[in-house]
Amino acid sequence: MAQVRETTTAAVTRYGLLLLISIYCIMPFLWLLVAALDPNAGLFLKIPDSVSFNSFFRVFFEEDGMLWLTNSLIVCGGATVLVLVLAGFGGYALSRTRAWWKRPFLYGIILIRVIPPTALIVPLYKIMLTCNQAIAGVVRPIAGPEYYRQVMRIFGFIDGYFGLILLLATMQLPLALWIMKTFFDTVSREYEEAAIMDGATFNQRLRRVLVPLAMPGLAAAGLFAFIAAWGDFLFPLTFISSPELRMLPIGIYSAFLRANQIDYGLLAAIAVIYTAPAIIAFALARRFLVQTFGGGLKG
Amino acid sequence: MSAKFERAEIWRNRFLILPSMLLLATFVIYPACFAVYTSLTNESLTGPAALNPRFVGLDNYTKLFTDGNFWRSLAITFWFVLFSAIIGQLVLGLASAMLLRRRFALRPLVNAVILMPNAVPEVVAAMMWASMLASGEYGTLNNIVAWFGVEPQRWLTSFPLTMIIVVNIWRGIGFAMILMTSGLSSISEELYEAARMDGANPRQVFRRITLPLLVPTLFLYLLVSTVSTIAIFGLVFALTRGGPAGATELIGIYIYNQSFNAYQLGYGSAVAVVVLTFSLFIGMLYVRALKVDV
Repeated sequence: MAQVRETTTAAVTRYGLLLLISIYCIMPFLWLLVAALDPNAGLFLKIPDSVSFNSFFRVFFEEDGMLWLTNSLIVCGGATVLVLVLAGFGGYALSRTRAWWKRPFLYGIILIRVIPPTALIVPLYKIMLTCNQAIAGVVRPIAGPEYYRQVMRIFGFIDGYFGLILLLATMQLPLALWIMKTFFDTVSREYEEAAIMDGATFNQRLRRVLVPLAMPGLAAAGLFAFIAAWGDFLFPLTFISSPELRMLPIGIYSAFLRANQIDYGLLAAIAVIYTAPAIIAFALARRFLVQTFGGGLKG
Repeated sequence: MSAKFERAEIWRNRFLILPSMLLLATFVIYPACFAVYTSLTNESLTGPAALNPRFVGLDNYTKLFTDGNFWRSLAITFWFVLFSAIIGQLVLGLASAMLLRRRFALRPLVNAVILMPNAVPEVVAAMMWASMLASGEYGTLNNIVAWFGVEPQRWLTSFPLTMIIVVNIWRGIGFAMILMTSGLSSISEELYEAARMDGANPRQVFRRITLPLLVPTLFLYLLVSTVSTIAIFGLVFALTRGGPAGATELIGIYIYNQSFNAYQLGYGSAVAVVVLTFSLFIGMLYVRALKVDV
């Protein structure tokens, strides 16, 4: 459409207001970026005397940052992959089935999305504890005392990758299932039927027809699952205690608590590295954001 | 297709959804029911009750009613939701959406800037605001208000609730803006055209056209932002841990502190059940409002 010309007052008001809102939004970022590049950074925003990327190198070579990053990548990557597999298959089944449980299940998914995780944290802790003991009962005789800790670090439910991956994946499942279900609803059955007519088995249909067709849906579901798992604070805080398994959010949080001996430059560099994937994923997911509003609540 | 083939399909669908159902049952449904049970016991992590918890009926709930800290936490949560999600984010998000309807060179940039806070992980957001709100004359906000002749403040100590509201508004403008933009784009341009022909001024256009036609979007936004704001934990916990003296102890933080710092699992669960019930109630409204077609 052709834009109507604005009066000067209207234009000044418009751009003035937008400028104010933008300053409000961008201001807090300033310190983080400046501090990450300033070798003598402090808690206060100041113009650095010199600029260096030293802090970023130190994250990878000297400090715990690399460990936290690896742990975060393992847990969030694992959770995202799990969500993709489960939601891909589950969403397909939900879309194609005409069974009685379809409607209650889909309403259930929406209701699950509104439950605040903090309301579940106590019973979850007990469930995770029970699962952990069950796994320990299996691991102890097999691994023997010297490898027991290492194996539990991978398969444990408390202080272990596996439990946290399952938990984070489950929390992202409802939205992902919803996205995949609505996505498969738009994929015509005809492609599949053609493949069935040609005598393709389910495996062949899956590889040749369904997965290629589902790619856009999987991208959206995977991005939202990753963003949520990557930013999550409550679950790593509650279920991880050993320093070797510490993930980025808790590493940053606990480093920030040691008020008088913080290396702000290093911490800011870690925070920038932590933030970058989240912002990239968010930028990619942005165009799907409104669609998820329909059934999945805030992504 | 043959009946045999259809039966195979039915079984395959059941099998494909089963893992998801199991996980949701184990980590969401079961804990939700378990919270109700735990709230009826005096379970705790320390003391005699830790070894063998007793069934205490509704004791935890009666205690809840007389517990000033619970009511304070509920009040804090109420003001937090009202001022940050329902008023702040909505007004600024709607304003941004409307101001950005006009195309201009920097529009994509402004759009990205407003969305940025939404993309940042909670802990990093808390860290950035810790620097913004730092007390002393070098704190960023203190520097800014100094231009207007205001003395340096200890923001998080003097105005804790206001400050976490400011932080949360900052975080949510982008989300509100996206939804309002999609709501606005569904309003036909012809209506505005017609109103302009009739000589309506911008305020009348807003009151008589934009607002009424935006009501469905607004309503859904209110439900969604209410439940997601009640669920906020990390952002505020990392910034204040509920302090000073419980002034920012949102209901989620209250549950966490009661359970893992005061070790009162039974009592913490009773609070959790109250929150759970309220959230599910809003969830029902949401399902009805969406008229989801499944």
